[in-house]
Amino acid sequence: MSAHEKAAPGPTVIPFGPQHPVLPEPLHFDLVLQDEKVIDAIPQIGYIHRGLELLVDKRDYLDYVHVAERICGICSFMHGMGYCEAVETLLGITVPDRGRWLRTFWCELERVHSHLLWLGLGADSLGFENLFMAAWRARETVVDVAEETAGGRVIFGSALVGGVSKDPSDETLKRCIAAMKPVRAETLRLANVVMNESTVRHRFEGVGVLSKEMAYALGAVGPMLRASGVDYDVRRRGYAAYAEVDFETVTETAGDCMARALVRVREIEQSFHIMDQIVATMPSGPVAVPVKGMPPVGEAWVRLEQPRGEVLYYVRSNGTRNLERFRVRTPTFANVPAMVEAVRGASLADVPNIILTIDPCISCTER
Amino acid sequence: MIVREIQTLEEITVGDLIPKVHALKAEGWRIIQVLAVSGPEANELTYSFGLGMQFKLLRFRVGSEQTVPSITPVYVAAYLYENEIRDLFGVKIERIAVDWLGKVYDVKGDKPFSKVTVTGACVECPPSTIIQGTKS
Repeated sequence: MSAHEKAAPGPTVIPFGPQHPVLPEPLHFDLVLQDEKVIDAIPQIGYIHRGLELLVDKRDYLDYVHVAERICGICSFMHGMGYCEAVETLLGITVPDRGRWLRTFWCELERVHSHLLWLGLGADSLGFENLFMAAWRARETVVDVAEETAGGRVIFGSALVGGVSKDPSDETLKRCIAAMKPVRAETLRLANVVMNESTVRHRFEGVGVLSKEMAYALGAVGPMLRASGVDYDVRRRGYAAYAEVDFETVTETAGDCMARALVRVREIEQSFHIMDQIVATMPSGPVAVPVKGMPPVGEAWVRLEQPRGEVLYYVRSNGTRNLERFRVRTPTFANVPAMVEAVRGASLADVPNIILTIDPCISCTER
Repeated sequence: MIVREIQTLEEITVGDLIPKVHALKAEGWRIIQVLAVSGPEANELTYSFGLGMQFKLLRFRVGSEQTVPSITPVYVAAYLYENEIRDLFGVKIERIAVDWLGKVYDVKGDKPFSKVTVTGACVECPPSTIIQGTKS
């Protein structure tokens, strides 16, 4: 063996996370490197697993919605609503129109707040602090609207089996839409920054590419899947009031970090478009139907489109007030294999922004 | 455009699992999740697949001593679900493509989600009967 062969370095394993400057939540990767190139990544989750699914057989099925809402602080309303939809399917309940419209309004409000939060974190991962602050400043108005209409800025607290628990007036909703007009304009301005600013383009374009075939084969969901060219959005199922509104499923084809960023910033505009329609056509009447008695023996599956993608809820009842099983398959959990694939072949320096453009939510994952 | 969701549930045996998932893969179905529900006699596993808005479920039950083949040779993305089920429910799953050897979750106690109390020989489990709420 020559001296050169003896000195040739083999792969190096670099631990990434669970505490890392760009990661707001605990996720760990063992990055296997050849020089600066990632040749493999081994993910590790499980640092903060809370066992919330197990709590379902210790809480009344009507009260458990408060636990479901606390699975995540970014898509809390949708977790509560998904649980409610599953229980309502089990009970055979139809939510009144105004309740369905309000659910749709809050789902889209949550999507805007989540995507703006992501935009700030994504910018922060690049060291682009101005974009970070601009995105979070815009988001502040959105969470103000959440507080005014639902009562909570993070945990909305308005999901209820049978409908919703809050009923903001039509005037309040119209005032909120007007208050968010500057946010809409600011989002378009920020979208232009993402698309045209040389620093962002340099760090995002052609980085962390996930092909259409791989995204589909690896079970990716949400913006991760749509950025690779797959037109799949669970809102097309028509739950809540989505069958009554017009919206575009945003897709991109490049499959890189830029494509994932563009899908999210364009989805913000679509969410405002949906909220406009919802408020303009808001029906009058009750927002919920009373729910009494025991749930029947049975089970139900419900899928929703969260900001991070398809989420699945499962409930099973044994006929008592405590459900036998509750299951959430969250979008980040489904996106982990695709995240590993996107990191493979990348430069070590690009790993933080690749992971951020997947928008991982470990709070959801560790439900 | 709104697409109606179609949910279907098929009861299978453990032995049918791999041929069934091979057939689904060939038809273009994607993996959505794997669910475990624990009872006193057995764990019940339900594999979910999606094709557009179609939603297909394959279900079987396994006793405490039975083993289940991993579907990761067909759907590699199933490794997270299979590791999770093994850690939380104690289901014996063989040859998972990415195997954390019981270390996905740092939880107190062994298989904390399991309610199986019958141990020993393989249980011939009857099909689940509580599927009334499932749309089909």
